[in-house]
Amino acid sequence: MNGKSMHWVNRLAALGLVVGLVAGLATAGSAQSVGGQAYSTYVNTPLGSSGQSPLAVLPAVTGTDGAEADAEGSALNVAGALSGDFLNSITSGQIGPAEAGAQSTSSAASVNILNGLITADEVVANVMSSAGQSGAVSDAAGSTFTNLTVAGRSLSGDQAVAPNTNVSLPGVGYVVLNEQIPTGDGVTSSGLTVNMIHVYLQSITGGTVDPLTGQVIGGITTTTGEIIVGSATSSVGP
Amino acid sequence: MMREHGNLIVWPSLIAAGLLAVACSDQPNVNMAPQKPNFWASPPPAQCPTGKWTGGGRIDPTGMRTAANYDNVDEPSPTGDPPPAPDPAPYFTGKFTFGFNVFLATNAANRCFVQKGEIEVNGHPFKVAWHVSIHDGVDSFSGDSVFANVFADNSGRGFCLVVGTADAFMTARVNPGDGRETAQFEVCDNDRGKPQNSRTDAMRWRATPFHSGETGPTGDTGLTYLRGGNIVEHGS
Repeated sequence: MNGKSMHWVNRLAALGLVVGLVAGLATAGSAQSVGGQAYSTYVNTPLGSSGQSPLAVLPAVTGTDGAEADAEGSALNVAGALSGDFLNSITSGQIGPAEAGAQSTSSAASVNILNGLITADEVVANVMSSAGQSGAVSDAAGSTFTNLTVAGRSLSGDQAVAPNTNVSLPGVGYVVLNEQIPTGDGVTSSGLTVNMIHVYLQSITGGTVDPLTGQVIGGITTTTGEIIVGSATSSVGP
Repeated sequence: MMREHGNLIVWPSLIAAGLLAVACSDQPNVNMAPQKPNFWASPPPAQCPTGKWTGGGRIDPTGMRTAANYDNVDEPSPTGDPPPAPDPAPYFTGKFTFGFNVFLATNAANRCFVQKGEIEVNGHPFKVAWHVSIHDGVDSFSGDSVFANVFADNSGRGFCLVVGTADAFMTARVNPGDGRETAQFEVCDNDRGKPQNSRTDAMRWRATPFHSGETGPTGDTGLTYLRGGNIVEHGS
């Protein structure tokens, strides 16, 4: 009886040892993950279309490794929708023993959207994500507009704009400046996409025109297209 | 008695197995508190043979040594390479965005060089994009080795890396025009093991058409704190 009991307990101990080792080895091999991408322009409108360009996507990063990707473009012109030049996109990411992270930047110069409705001498989108001892963070520091004009309102010099600034474009739709889309829990994961200029083209069907204001009342609003200038994404996760 | 003796053997084994399992595992379900990333140790000193550096972001050099975003403390390097900016004159000023990834190694003479790397720097004031590409220890645009130097910076905050040391520099492609230009790149990781949004990391870019046939703007940003982005030495 005693011998049988000892045998059973020894087996349990051995099983615990094996399970513990397997579990430990499995989790020790689990890698952190980082991601990033950047592009200067994207156009999808009835006037014309152009894919994300120039597009830089971070290659897979494993172990204590790192990578960089970049794409250079000269000029883009989608007639009536968007023109710009000096288009550049860069993304990089790394996993190390003390921290992991990614950073992306994109830019466009001489930006002209919808025949001058929105213009900027330059747009820079810049994001970073990092996970380390103090948790996981992302920010869009360094994202600015240079001499931005939106529907006749100007912002001179090189300036940041409050995240997710929404400006109505009557008869066209609206634009979100410094559009920020966060992801992650802020502890083990964090990510951020910033679209410096995101135009949403809209049309309204039905409704009636107010004779005093000229505005359409009622009706159904439909998004008919979008234009993005300066997009950068970075992320880090378990 | 026999059972008691058995327990003396078995229970320590169980405890040892349990401890081993815990030690080898960081299973998220064990602790209900929010899980932290699996890297708690402070990074060891950066060094050449195992050095891996990655980063990117933006600097806004002003051309003024007294400007708050100029990393006076860490320039020049303790070895004098690179020298104080601007070298070559004038200062590059305005917006510069960049991204890079560099792996270091030592050659037979125990000299530090870049085994592989990509460096992209965009000079926005003059709409120029530089690119350096190094594979198997060779600069793709010159066919030469690119030597590097890793050193603890003057401020004691971290480590700096110079790519293209002054005896040979390196060759960058210059767009538009697919030209070539002699260049040097320096970055400092000044927030190792600390929160990475401290804006204390720094970058410096020097370029000049030094060799016959080269084209591109001449200047030096000086070692400038990042306005956004991050520099990480992650190979130690």
